[in-house]
Amino acid sequence: MRTIVPVIVAFLAGFVMIVSFFFNPERTFFGRIESEVLVWVTIVGGFTLLLGVVSITRVNWHAVRTKKEGWVYNLFTLLSIFVMAIPAMLPVSWSQLFGDTEGSIYDWLFFHVDYPMMATMFAMLAFYIASAAYRAFRARNPEATLLLVTATLVMLWRIPMGEAFLIRVGDTLLFGYNLPESINTYIMNGANLAVQRGILIGAALGAASMSLRIMLGIERTYMGKG
Amino acid sequence: MNFWDKLGTLDRRWIYLLVALSVIFPLIVPMSFKISITPEARQLFEAVDALPDSSVVMLTFDYYPSTVAETEPMATAALHHLFRKDCKVVTMTTIPLGGPSMAERVTRTVARKYNKVYGTDFVNLGYKANWVAVLKGMGTSIEAIYPADNSGTRLSELPLMATVKNYDDVSFIFVVADNDIVQNWVSIVNAQYGTPIGAGVTAVGAPKYYAFVGSGQLTGLLGGMKGAAEYELLADARGLAEKGMGMQSLAHLVIILMVIVGNIAFFAGRWSKKGKVK
Amino acid sequence: MSSVEIIQIWVAAFFTLAIFSFLYKDNPFYKLAEHIFAGLSAGYYVGLIWKAVIIQQLWDPMLAGSWWLVIPGILGVLMFARLWPRISWVSRIALAFVMGNTAGIFLITQLHGIVLPQMQSTMLALGGTAGFASALLAIIVVVGVISTLIYFYFSKEHTGVLGVTARVGIWFIMVSFGAHFGYTVMARISLLIGRVYFLADQWLPSFSQLF
Repeated sequence: MRTIVPVIVAFLAGFVMIVSFFFNPERTFFGRIESEVLVWVTIVGGFTLLLGVVSITRVNWHAVRTKKEGWVYNLFTLLSIFVMAIPAMLPVSWSQLFGDTEGSIYDWLFFHVDYPMMATMFAMLAFYIASAAYRAFRARNPEATLLLVTATLVMLWRIPMGEAFLIRVGDTLLFGYNLPESINTYIMNGANLAVQRGILIGAALGAASMSLRIMLGIERTYMGKG
Repeated sequence: MNFWDKLGTLDRRWIYLLVALSVIFPLIVPMSFKISITPEARQLFEAVDALPDSSVVMLTFDYYPSTVAETEPMATAALHHLFRKDCKVVTMTTIPLGGPSMAERVTRTVARKYNKVYGTDFVNLGYKANWVAVLKGMGTSIEAIYPADNSGTRLSELPLMATVKNYDDVSFIFVVADNDIVQNWVSIVNAQYGTPIGAGVTAVGAPKYYAFVGSGQLTGLLGGMKGAAEYELLADARGLAEKGMGMQSLAHLVIILMVIVGNIAFFAGRWSKKGKVK
Repeated sequence: MSSVEIIQIWVAAFFTLAIFSFLYKDNPFYKLAEHIFAGLSAGYYVGLIWKAVIIQQLWDPMLAGSWWLVIPGILGVLMFARLWPRISWVSRIALAFVMGNTAGIFLITQLHGIVLPQMQSTMLALGGTAGFASALLAIIVVVGVISTLIYFYFSKEHTGVLGVTARVGIWFIMVSFGAHFGYTVMARISLLIGRVYFLADQWLPSFSQLF
């Protein structure tokens, strides 16, 4: 029962999507069912996001309650959740600070605290990739050398200074051959396109077969234990 | 440890410092370069430019705040282009963390410059969960998925949305994204409903989408900050991306130099060890 | 610059530098910033889902007569059963509903929207060429696609013709991954440029207003 019912629900939910693909959504029964099911999925999907929030609140509350090492930081996490969430849920009619419009606490905290931190966390990757390139990017064998040479050419091609250099090299050493154009044509739209297409086809076939397995109840790992 | 080994295992903080200096230096000594336009960027620009004025274009803010440096210039330049053409713009996002807020702020900031009226010239639909269902559902009825816009106004009360019921009423979809959502826009929307789609993506994802440009499923592609700079130039909407090219150039050269030095240190270290063994 | 704008810039700059401080070493400022970031992000989701789903998709439509929306509402609430091991099986129904729906959409769109168009454009490439360069490109694409697919086929040992084709595939893959790496470097540097530009263009000029 605990497994059969979800398997049947998964099959029916998927079956409706597949069959409705072949029916006019406005004029047929199946089409209207598809439309309604999609709305239901967006509603249920929203609660999935809230599940993550409840989980993070539980974990941090437990850390504060049991005074784990660094619990003060967990307290800041909890405070941040409430300071962000509660004013956002209150009506704007009570105060301009409430809700999520420009000028609200929610909007202010997002743009001036959350957003800079998110952007900075990813900006740090520039340093890590430079360090990795210096320490680990070695031309140990012919394949690695090919990877390294291609990466260098692309890095040069993507900057105006580098592109000008490549044009100069083409003019002086390769009888006027347009190197940047060749990189775009034969590397990006040639070898790269071919490999990406191969990977896309393979991955899409894999995704389609996984979808079939989920619908037929063969794949049940998404249900978890219990 | 000999000199070459020490060079090859330099403390990473020196590398960080070099990278930081390479980005800061062009701010002190400004560098400007001629930016060339790739065929893919020109294809996207020309596709949008060829749209009849007053066409309805869907512009998606499918990126997180973490990649704003690459993607926001694309979205901003696209909005300048679209508003200048008097296109009607419907914005939406599939990104829960920050998407609706960024779409709201960026669109309203640009719209103000062209005296565009919300509800008539542009609408921000905001966010709804489960992007697969959202993309599929809008093919039948946008109002079913979005009963109200981002600020809570019912779609039936917005004049623009009276004429935009589903993808059939949208002339072009301009996707600005930092994740695989572009693939789903293509496979769910372009494949089934035939709406032309152009994409501005981060440089990490750009190589993948050449396959879609090659198959005609994507009408044009902007890749990373360079792509954003190209569109800014084409749309005459100069911004951060164009200014950033100087810093980008020097940083790339520094990294290429570091790769060369790292390899020299590696091979020289190997040869010196072989020499000692002999 | 107004005093509110200066405060905004300084708050953003503080948290930006707190995160950057990790590059030197882990420290209390970074830890504090990281934990606040996690909390604010979670809080953002709450505000968003409250408005976009609970009010706009459930409460308002149900008040207007669409009472059947209580069903997905209940399914959504059932999702929270996952937090208690004894009743976590109840959440499977909601999960199965979402997963089944997505699987059904993907089964069609992956084949119709990716496999068939991509294969079609590969096959057409040889037939519609114009000139030597165009034909060469078409051959590169066909050979590249086939050899890449064969390289990733691990159900048979890569020997004989299969082995040679897989070897060709590796060369193509190295070129593509090299291009990827080049683009990735560009991406990361661009993100750093964004933050440095903020510090240089907004934060540093604010010093003159303060001092």
